[in-house]
Amino acid sequence: MPGKPILEAKEVSFRYPDGTPALKNVTLAVAEGQKTAFLGPNGAGKTTLFLHFNGLFRPERGKVYFAGREVRYDHASLLELRKNVGIVFQDPETQLFSASVWQEVSFGPLNLGLPAPEVKERVLAALSAAQVLDLKDRPTHFLSYGQKKRVAIADILAMRPRVLICDEPTAWLDTRRGKQIMDLFAGLNASGTTIVFSTHDVDLAYSWADYVFLLKDGALIGEGPPEAVLSDPRLLAAAELEKPWVAEVYEELQCKGWVAGRRPPRSKEELLALIGERGARGAELRKVK
Amino acid sequence: MLKIDRYAYTNKLRCVHPAEKLAFALAMLIACLALSSRLASLLVVLFMAASAVLRAKIPALFYLKLLLVPASFLLAGVFTVALSFSKDASLFLAGVKLGGCVLGFTAAGLATALDLFLKSLGAVSCLYFLVLTTPAVEIFALLRKLRLPPLFVELMALVYRFIFVLLETAEKIYLSQSSRGGYATLKTAYFSLGQLAANLFAKSYRHSQLLFLTLSARCYTGELNVLDEPCRFSPRNLLLSILAGLTLLAAGYCAEKGAGPFAR
Repeated sequence: MPGKPILEAKEVSFRYPDGTPALKNVTLAVAEGQKTAFLGPNGAGKTTLFLHFNGLFRPERGKVYFAGREVRYDHASLLELRKNVGIVFQDPETQLFSASVWQEVSFGPLNLGLPAPEVKERVLAALSAAQVLDLKDRPTHFLSYGQKKRVAIADILAMRPRVLICDEPTAWLDTRRGKQIMDLFAGLNASGTTIVFSTHDVDLAYSWADYVFLLKDGALIGEGPPEAVLSDPRLLAAAELEKPWVAEVYEELQCKGWVAGRRPPRSKEELLALIGERGARGAELRKVK
Repeated sequence: MLKIDRYAYTNKLRCVHPAEKLAFALAMLIACLALSSRLASLLVVLFMAASAVLRAKIPALFYLKLLLVPASFLLAGVFTVALSFSKDASLFLAGVKLGGCVLGFTAAGLATALDLFLKSLGAVSCLYFLVLTTPAVEIFALLRKLRLPPLFVELMALVYRFIFVLLETAEKIYLSQSSRGGYATLKTAYFSLGQLAANLFAKSYRHSQLLFLTLSARCYTGELNVLDEPCRFSPRNLLLSILAGLTLLAAGYCAEKGAGPFAR
């Protein structure tokens, strides 16, 4: 059940200083408590939109809302917004400013004006949630890319935002590490944090997200639950995306009449379970004969 | 540079409070500079080497190589100090006649040169001990606690962090250039190196802009507030450090009066 809109963009347009249009009249609303994915090819405007949600970019036209209130751009309002909306950048190298992992993660909560003991507790909790607690005494420059990425996520976790935005959380990570991060996000989501992420990976969006937005060339071209949006061939073609393999295999099986047409499976596990059911029933039928 | 950094994080004195290590290094440095005695300087050099190699377990060979870096240009510098120029040929131990004057080494000149050489090496040893046993981040934290202007310390910390980013970027550009034959001939090498430098500058600039953006996203308001990790502080070590410095100073003072092993 979708909650109230927590992040909204109304007719937002934005142009980069060199004149390139990045967002064209984008209107959308992210519901609180949902796992929301933004899909689209490179240069679709996903990152630019995210930077608007955090107040780092100011729309040229249109308005951005957080929890029903229009985002204002004075100092105090921006700090309040950034306290609630955390953003993990795609390249951890540009985000990590400190040579010490511990200091790096303490930066955000200290800026929230918290007392040192609470900052300490939050840093420890964030480091262990991101599975980098063992790296706390290591210098940032000795870490691998995957470790840096997880420290960058801990950076934001320590601020405990209501909305966590993550730009390409699984980019350049191996499958296992990528899955660990998505599991971490699922856990945060279960405890009430709204998760917003961008990805190129349709399979990930299909199996993981509650709601999907499709962006192309700075415009919103589609939105809805993943099983609706990501099975629409017209939309997928427009967004230069392929159909998720789970959906494709399921449709093929359904065409052949090999699986019953209930709710389409969302993940590999659900699909396998469906095939397993069918196989078991087939075996029973054979026994009866 | 990078190896020093690595040892700073892995040496056996890593867990000792940075203030103790700084106090030790400073006490020895002050003793070395205040006492203009060859023996005192030599003692500081040996004592710091022993502390680094035996206590912090820095490989002796690496420490020796590190000492050779300043030793080489110290020798060059000291050479000019040792060289004297005078009309009185009787002062010289060795020299060449140039017209009516002599250019060469006098006993006094050599003595000053040796003093200077050992004193500089002693001072450098103190610095080496500190940087080999204490990670830069902890030194910055200490400077912050010593009430150095925050802007100054923040700048140091950022420069330190981005030395590594810069090196990594340069390495990546270099690799991508050499993989396409960028350094095949001297001519292409010059061209590639120029491109590398120009690119590195453009990339650093872009990087700094992005960094500002990412910091702002975390409520940056002009101050890089960070929480320092608490270290266990041992007053005993601090006391010992100060005592070591004082002993050396006292011995030197006695030497001034013309007694003890430091007499000139």
